Amino acid sequence: MLAQPPLDVVIVGGGTAGWMTAAALTKLLPRACSVHLVESEEIGIVGVGEATLPHLRGFNERLGLDEAEFMARTRATFKLGIEFENWARVGDRYIHPFGTFGRGQGQVGFHQYWLRMLHDGCAVDHLDNYSVACTMARLGRFSLPSDDPREINSTFNYAYQFDATQFAPFLRSHAEALGAKRTEGRIVDVELDGETGNIRAVVLNSGQRIAGDLFVDCSGFFALLIGKTLGEPFQEWSKWLPCDRAVAMPCRTKTSVTPYTQAIAMQSGWRWRIPLQHRTGNGYVHSSAFIDEQDAMDSLVAVVEGDRLADPRVLRFKAGRRERSWVRNCIAIGLSSGFLEPLESTSIYLIQAAITALIELFPEKDIASSDRDEFNRVVDVEYDRIRDFLILHYHATERSDSPFWDYVRTMEIPDSLSEKLELFRRRGRVVKYREGAFLEPSWVAVFLGQRILPEGHDMRADLPSHDALAAGMGELRTEIRQVVEAMPDHLGMIARYCPMAA
Amino acid sequence: MRSISSVAIAGGGIVAWSAAAAIRRRLPAIRVTVVPLPVPPDALADRQGSILPSIVDFHQDIGLTEADTVVRAGSGFRLGTCFEGWSSLPDYVHAYGEYGRTLPATAFHQHWLRSRELGEAAPFDEYSVGAAMAASGRFLPPEQIPASRVSNYAYGLHIDPPRYREMMRAFALHLGAEESDAAIADVRLRKDGFIHTLVTDGGGEVRADLFIDASGPKARIRKEVDGCREDWSRHFAVDRLVIADEPSSSEPSALDHAKAFESGWTWRSTSPVRTSKGVAYSSAHLDDAQASEHIGGNGAIALSPSRLTNPWVRNCVAIGDAAVTIEPLEWTNLHLAHSAIDRLVAMMPDADCNPTELWDYNRQTNAEIDRARDFVLLHYATSNRPEPFWRDASSRPLPSSLEHTLLQWRERGRLPFFEEETFARDSWAAVLIGQGVIPRRMDPLMTSIPERESARSMEQLRSAIQSAVAQAPPQGVYLRNLSIQGTR
Repeated sequence: MLAQPPLDVVIVGGGTAGWMTAAALTKLLPRACSVHLVESEEIGIVGVGEATLPHLRGFNERLGLDEAEFMARTRATFKLGIEFENWARVGDRYIHPFGTFGRGQGQVGFHQYWLRMLHDGCAVDHLDNYSVACTMARLGRFSLPSDDPREINSTFNYAYQFDATQFAPFLRSHAEALGAKRTEGRIVDVELDGETGNIRAVVLNSGQRIAGDLFVDCSGFFALLIGKTLGEPFQEWSKWLPCDRAVAMPCRTKTSVTPYTQAIAMQSGWRWRIPLQHRTGNGYVHSSAFIDEQDAMDSLVAVVEGDRLADPRVLRFKAGRRERSWVRNCIAIGLSSGFLEPLESTSIYLIQAAITALIELFPEKDIASSDRDEFNRVVDVEYDRIRDFLILHYHATERSDSPFWDYVRTMEIPDSLSEKLELFRRRGRVVKYREGAFLEPSWVAVFLGQRILPEGHDMRADLPSHDALAAGMGELRTEIRQVVEAMPDHLGMIARYCPMAA
Repeated sequence: MRSISSVAIAGGGIVAWSAAAAIRRRLPAIRVTVVPLPVPPDALADRQGSILPSIVDFHQDIGLTEADTVVRAGSGFRLGTCFEGWSSLPDYVHAYGEYGRTLPATAFHQHWLRSRELGEAAPFDEYSVGAAMAASGRFLPPEQIPASRVSNYAYGLHIDPPRYREMMRAFALHLGAEESDAAIADVRLRKDGFIHTLVTDGGGEVRADLFIDASGPKARIRKEVDGCREDWSRHFAVDRLVIADEPSSSEPSALDHAKAFESGWTWRSTSPVRTSKGVAYSSAHLDDAQASEHIGGNGAIALSPSRLTNPWVRNCVAIGDAAVTIEPLEWTNLHLAHSAIDRLVAMMPDADCNPTELWDYNRQTNAEIDRARDFVLLHYATSNRPEPFWRDASSRPLPSSLEHTLLQWRERGRLPFFEEETFARDSWAAVLIGQGVIPRRMDPLMTSIPERESARSMEQLRSAIQSAVAQAPPQGVYLRNLSIQGTR
């Protein structure tokens, strides 16, 4: 077996993707590569994803980052899920929680028993009442989960709502301490190898030339290497995900610092509300085909709470991904590789998934196609599954109060999603995967929240007697309520655990 | 929408009665009628005695205890298979569960591969509790072995198929399954191609919403609906078996033996009540008489490796050998049947057998079958034996999914994830390493772990395994104790 000589890795771009990549490579592959990151302070960062998925905890742990320090530095709050408002009908609300419904044990999903009671003609409580995460979110409580699977408070997971512009500097300090080199400068030229087409070096405005074996394109939407230089085509998904603009505007927090993110459907898209320790992020994601920027801005300004901390800022994007994220010796991570709107907070997750795949498939100087092809396969699966999950939120609606909702309600959807919808509609079945960003409870929450009510249920849920099931569900509900009521409130928890510097 | 309220099962072996018991137990609203057909010699899922660990979960799910499935049915425990002569390397054991333990940075096998490179590693199977216990002739279940908390293992069973079948039949009847008379004379279809009625020899009629074909490779009823199969003969060299079972004369062993010889391989397994022997070979390289002589049995069974393109079509689902024909190497036959039964119970559709629901069943079932096939083929694809049979078997075209696994392994010791995989990554690693397939590159993640650190953890685990195994009783003793408890 060969132990390979270390590679020179050049990371182009110092936003969230760039510094996450740098921190991970320096920590996990210290002898397999050297890391050189080029960034320019002239170019702003998009700072995607103020809200995250629970997977980020695993990333931070692997890097040995202290959670409390990380949260204090990024002014983070805890996130137990997303509340969707006005999606299937105006006035509707549901939570997509990070965690299971019921105890999360046994072969039959809890929602199947819940459906069975419904089909028995019972007036069952909303499914949220049987989820620890939902109950915590509703009551504004938080404590860290138990790791004993027998305990009911082991059935939730959590992520963070944080200031993404603070995450990159935090990671930068770690990466630099571990030997990452950083150069400030704007790239004015990219040198290709005439024979192989590989990238040989990038040249900065100062004239400095930075050569490398492997180039990671973290240049954001600009896609300097993968797009501008190598010309890898972009697969556009706007016919399914027509939103292509966001107006973002932070404000002072006026009401509560909720331990969840809100996604509130609007006339031509939706808006986010993400409470951090020091402010609340707001933004209206919309489709330029259905509303112009000024109107979108006005609609956002009209509804946000609290004093504005900055003027509204417009972001433009297209939903989709590169046909391949790894081409020759260039790997696109982050927005250069693709974009999916922040509806389910997947941007940072996708960065993390790509970094994980890169580490698992870290190549030699002479890159084997088996590494590259496998990386692309893994990344494509992630994008494609998340895409279906996002489309579901729009398509499964009864709203017909604007041309935007008429369009998404009646548009054609990918076959892979039609099948999922049909299976859920019939018996509440969720197409089974063991890997991917969103597993069964997530699909269940969104299907039901979007008013896809199954006609039948899993026949195995008929096994217990009606009375035994009703009693068991009642006990579960009470237990969840009691456990959650004993938890500290969200702000109290933050004040003790991870307060930001004043 | 109308729920399925009745199921008819064609077949009289373990698969048919297991399906009947599972449906009655787990979906008691469904009426079950078994049309008992004789078990054909080539129905391997009904005849094989070496069973993978999933049978233990299957029993638990339907409420059978070891008093029924082991003590009364005359079964023994099994931990794995010893592969002898499959390559020019020493024998190796493929046991179930973990090889090694969780170590920093990357998979245990990557630590092992580096140690091997440095000349410091013991054979890979010495880092598996199951393999070490099997090799020692001892047995205890994991909950009684403290070392299983750091490195877990799983066990399957050696069953005596006739006795086990009787036990399962009695259990299914006890749960309310009905047994119809006589053989099937005719299968009547509705205009839309759904099965309407099975007509028996005596003129009786069996009607049901759903028909399960568990009748063996000839798929007696399913072939009337659609018999479209995916042929695997280009992948497999083995196309014949001779099975020779006899009453047991020695102590039961938790370890099966699969021994390669010039024109195929032979197996031997010993349960408390019988010894099962068999030979799997290629008719192109060995004639039936020679094969029978080789094993001391008679009656060659022809195999056509294949699976149904869609195991479930309209209201007829094939399970066991009716769905997939595969040689018994690694004993996937009954496992695939159990898994199909579980899936059927979990995915029971409405009486209209909606195509989307069937599509999902078929997708999962085929994914699982195909990966089990890949694992079986792996043993041939990686053999370096020089004889004509082996050169034929190892040079056949591979399914792309197996090629993918082999490429990722050979290149860098990576085992890509597949949904519905039967054999865990450590099982793949155990066979690949056992057959001497060493990756070209070292996992770069290993560079951050000092050599001494891996070596120390590995050695600690190995000695913990050795002392744990030394405390386990011989399997015969464990079984006798169980029997005393079971009959108390």
